[in-house]
Amino acid sequence: MAYRYLFEQMVRRELRQKYRGSALGVLWYLINPLVLMGAYYLMFGVIFDQASEPDYPLFLLVGLIVWVFFNQAVVSAAPSLLDQGALIRKARFPREIIPTSVVTVQLVTFLALLALLAPITIAIRGSLDVALLLLPLVLACLFAFILGFALAVSILHAYFRDVAPILSAALLPWFFVSPIFFRPESITEQRTARFVLEWVNPIAPYIGAVRDVLYGGVVPAAPELAYVVIAAALALLGGRALFRRMQGELAVVV
Amino acid sequence: MTSFDDALRPGEIVLEHASRSFSVRADRGRTLKEMLIGRKRAGGPPPVEALRDVSLHIEPGETVGMVGRNGAGKSSTLRVLAGIVPLNCGRVGCGGQVVSQLELGAGFGREFSGRENIFLNGALHGLQKEQIEARLDAIIEFSELGDFIDAPVATYSSGMFLRLGFSIAAHLDADVLLIDEVLAVGDEAFQRKCEARIAEQIAGGATLVLVSHDAALIERTCERLVVLDGGRKVFDGPVDEGMPFYHRLMGTADAVPSPQ
Repeated sequence: MAYRYLFEQMVRRELRQKYRGSALGVLWYLINPLVLMGAYYLMFGVIFDQASEPDYPLFLLVGLIVWVFFNQAVVSAAPSLLDQGALIRKARFPREIIPTSVVTVQLVTFLALLALLAPITIAIRGSLDVALLLLPLVLACLFAFILGFALAVSILHAYFRDVAPILSAALLPWFFVSPIFFRPESITEQRTARFVLEWVNPIAPYIGAVRDVLYGGVVPAAPELAYVVIAAALALLGGRALFRRMQGELAVVV
Repeated sequence: MTSFDDALRPGEIVLEHASRSFSVRADRGRTLKEMLIGRKRAGGPPPVEALRDVSLHIEPGETVGMVGRNGAGKSSTLRVLAGIVPLNCGRVGCGGQVVSQLELGAGFGREFSGRENIFLNGALHGLQKEQIEARLDAIIEFSELGDFIDAPVATYSSGMFLRLGFSIAAHLDADVLLIDEVLAVGDEAFQRKCEARIAEQIAGGATLVLVSHDAALIERTCERLVVLDGGRKVFDGPVDEGMPFYHRLMGTADAVPSPQ
């Protein structure tokens, strides 16, 4: 890991550069998702209160922070290689460092939000259980899945500039079909629809697993847990393979 | 493209039958539509062949000047040697730590201070924090930036920019130094200092490849000359034989008084 320090530098640069000169500085990384979560809570927890779940705000927020992590990481990774074009044209270093550092910054944000939310959830839900021991595994898989996805998106966007706009258009409907406000089983009886909601959407099992452990205090069902592990491995290996295959011409295209 | 850096001695450079062309479209990325249809946009200028079947073998410690017209392939050759741009075909390899000075100040975060940029640039070349700290004072002293080292790089003049960039590159313990025409920006005193520093590194065993339009600089610094024209190598030999060839090629032979 000769480039360990470069990675550290990039993470710190990313953290400081974005909100440099603003009064609240890095706090903006927390404020944005908090405002988003407040808005969605108002919308779905108060105005369209379907409240089929106990402690609905917590049900909502636990799902929402997983989504916000995914969403923010992918959206900020997509243009990251183009943003750092000057570095890419200047020196030879492992290019994965750029999207990886962007995703790591979002991971830090996510963990900070989780550190706020988890104790409250566990205290109110009484979900302190051995199942909680699975949380590190689930989170590691979540990170791997998002990183793999972000690697693929960033390298594709460097070559095909339509990728980021397509993605930002897709993320909104994707958000609404993800099991954040609802459980698939409580909104549809139809088997195909449930299958699609639960298994075709790759982020759904991650939301489900984090929620099981944190909000429900139960061990996720075996198929869900297996999905979480396997999808993480596939996304990371696939994303990295695609990145390595395509990175050669980066200095020419960015 | 194949790279075989590991098989080379530190400072050794090999380029075998290297070819590389560039598309010259204004928007360099392909659109998704083109990918889905599976073909490139019709029309537009044909790709520019920057390097055509260039072979080069440079021993550790050699000093090589590279000259040619604008667009002859000099900068492309350096970018290929630096491992930044891959070849379409052929092989390239550079042994040891390669330090390149290709674009003036490129990669500097403009909001960050000179000091922070020293760390970033060191890291870009694979150095760890302690290794950069050990060189920090020497770099700052060499740059002559004084208190400006803690000011944002955005406030620097182009000369200060150059001095910082060169000072960093000059302290990275290069086995191979690739320099592209960046020295011209500094004032005469700093240029002399840079040349002295380069000479020190060469004395320490480093290999130098220098691209410049400054014939006098090349004659002072380099023993070997490579002349490129239209992406091909048209001369490779001692600098005192190469310079007359180069001047004839450029049609400037009369302008340069040759010693009788």
